[in-house]
Amino acid sequence: MRGRPALVIGVTILLAVLVQTTLFARLRVVTPDLVLLIGIFLSLTRIRPEAVLGVAFISGLVVDLLGASLLGLRAVVYTIVAYIAIRTKERAELGRATIAIWGGLLTFVGVVLLILVGTLFGQISLLGENAASRMILVPLANVAVAGLLAPTFVRIVDRDRTALRYP
Amino acid sequence: MLTGKKSDRALPTLISLLVVGVLLMTFDVRLEGGGVVGVLRTGTQTIVSPLQRLASYVVNPISTALDSLSNVASLREQNAELTAELAEAQAALTAMQDQIAKLELLEQLYNLGEGGAQVGRTVANVIGAVDAALIIDKGTADGVVVRQPVIDTNGYLVGTVTSVASGSATIVPITAVRQGITVQTGSQTGALTSQAFSSEMTLTMVLDIFTAREPVLAGDRVVTSAGSTRYPAGLPVGEIVEDASPESTSLTTTVRPFVDPDTLRIVVVLAWPPDPIAATTDDTVTEEDTTTTTSGEETTTTTTPEEDG
Repeated sequence: MRGRPALVIGVTILLAVLVQTTLFARLRVVTPDLVLLIGIFLSLTRIRPEAVLGVAFISGLVVDLLGASLLGLRAVVYTIVAYIAIRTKERAELGRATIAIWGGLLTFVGVVLLILVGTLFGQISLLGENAASRMILVPLANVAVAGLLAPTFVRIVDRDRTALRYP
Repeated sequence: MLTGKKSDRALPTLISLLVVGVLLMTFDVRLEGGGVVGVLRTGTQTIVSPLQRLASYVVNPISTALDSLSNVASLREQNAELTAELAEAQAALTAMQDQIAKLELLEQLYNLGEGGAQVGRTVANVIGAVDAALIIDKGTADGVVVRQPVIDTNGYLVGTVTSVASGSATIVPITAVRQGITVQTGSQTGALTSQAFSSEMTLTMVLDIFTAREPVLAGDRVVTSAGSTRYPAGLPVGEIVEDASPESTSLTTTVRPFVDPDTLRIVVVLAWPPDPIAATTDDTVTEEDTTTTTSGEETTTTTTPEEDG
C-alpha cells in the first residue's frame, strides 16, 4: 500500500474521525461507527491483509487518543474485527445487501468486544451510559452505511470501476 | 466460512498488534494516563482539535436542525410554558432589582467591598465527543489544567478535565467516572456513582448513604459535599428520583443528574482549587478576573490578573 491508496485511506480515516467525533457525537439515534467500518471496508479491497490490520490498529489508536478511555482498547478491537472481516469477506461479496448485513454483523462483534474488553479493564462507564442500546443502534446504522458506501469506497481505493458492481 | 487466501501473514500480524495493544493498555493503566501516554494524547489532540473546531462549525447547524426536527412536537408546549415562566421571572426580577438597589446603598453606607475570592472561570464550546468524553475548544493556553471541575451555564456540575492540549481539553462527565463523588442531600453525606447498564431510558446515578439517619424524598437536591476533594462544595448535581428509607444504617436510591452531557454545547471550567501558594506569597494578586464574550457559536475568554488595592 503506497501512494494514492495510502493518501485516500489517510484522508478517509481523518474525515471519519472528524464526523464521528462531531456530527455523530451529537445525534442520539443515528450513531454509526465510521472508523470501525473503514477497517471492514478495507478488507474488501486488494490491499494486503497485514496492511489492513495495521490501518485498523492505527485508526483505533487515534480514536483512543482523542477520548478518555484506555489507550489501545479500540485499537485491539478494531484489529480483531478487521481480521474477521479479512477471513470472511468472500461471503460478503455476493451483493450490496450481503455487504450491508456483513458490515452490521461485524460491527455488532466489534461493539460486543469493546464492551467486553472495556468491562475487563474497568472502562465500561467511559464508553457511554447506554452501552446496551449501542449494541443495537451502532450495528443498525453501520448496516445502512455499509450498504451505501462500501462498493464506492472499494472502487476509489482500488481504482477499479468494476469492483463490487452488481446487476 | 473462513478463507486462508492471502492471509498467511495476517495471523502473525494480528497477534503482534494484539500484543502491542495489550502492552499499551497496561502502560496506560500503570501510568494512570500520564507519562508517554499523556504526551501522545496531548500531541494527537493538538493536531486534531483545530480540525474538530472547524468541523464543529459546519456540523453544529446541521445537528441543531436535526435536533429541532426531532423535538418539534414538544417545542410548542415548551414554548407556552417558557412564556409563562418568563412573565413570572420578569416580575421577580423587578422585585429583585429593588432589593439590589437597597443592598448597594447599604454597602456604600457601611463601606463594604466585594469580599471573598471568586473562582476563575473559562467558558468553552464543546466541539466534539468520543464515547462519554467531551472535547472543548479551550486548553492550557486559556488556563485550563487537568482535574479542574467543569459546570454548565446554569452552574450544574458536569465533570472534570482529564487531559489538556494547548487549544483543547477532554472532559469526563460525572456520569462516566468510575470513582464515586462525595455529595450531600439535606444534612446527609453519601457517594454518588454512575451506572453503565441502566434499565431506564433516562440517565440516572446511584446514591449510597452509609450513615443514613433519615429518609430521602423524591425531588430532594443533591449537591457536592465539602468533603469532596475534587469539586467545590455546593455545586448542584441532580435530584433524587424515588423516596428511600434507611435500612439498618445505609440507604440506596437513584439520582437524576441535572446535566445531560449529550446536549451540552457550552461549559464553564472552574479554576479550582484556587492556588494557595499564590494567595499567601503575593497579596497583590488575589483573584483572576475572566471576561467572556459570547456571540453565536463563538465564545472568547480573556483572563487578566486583577490587582487589589
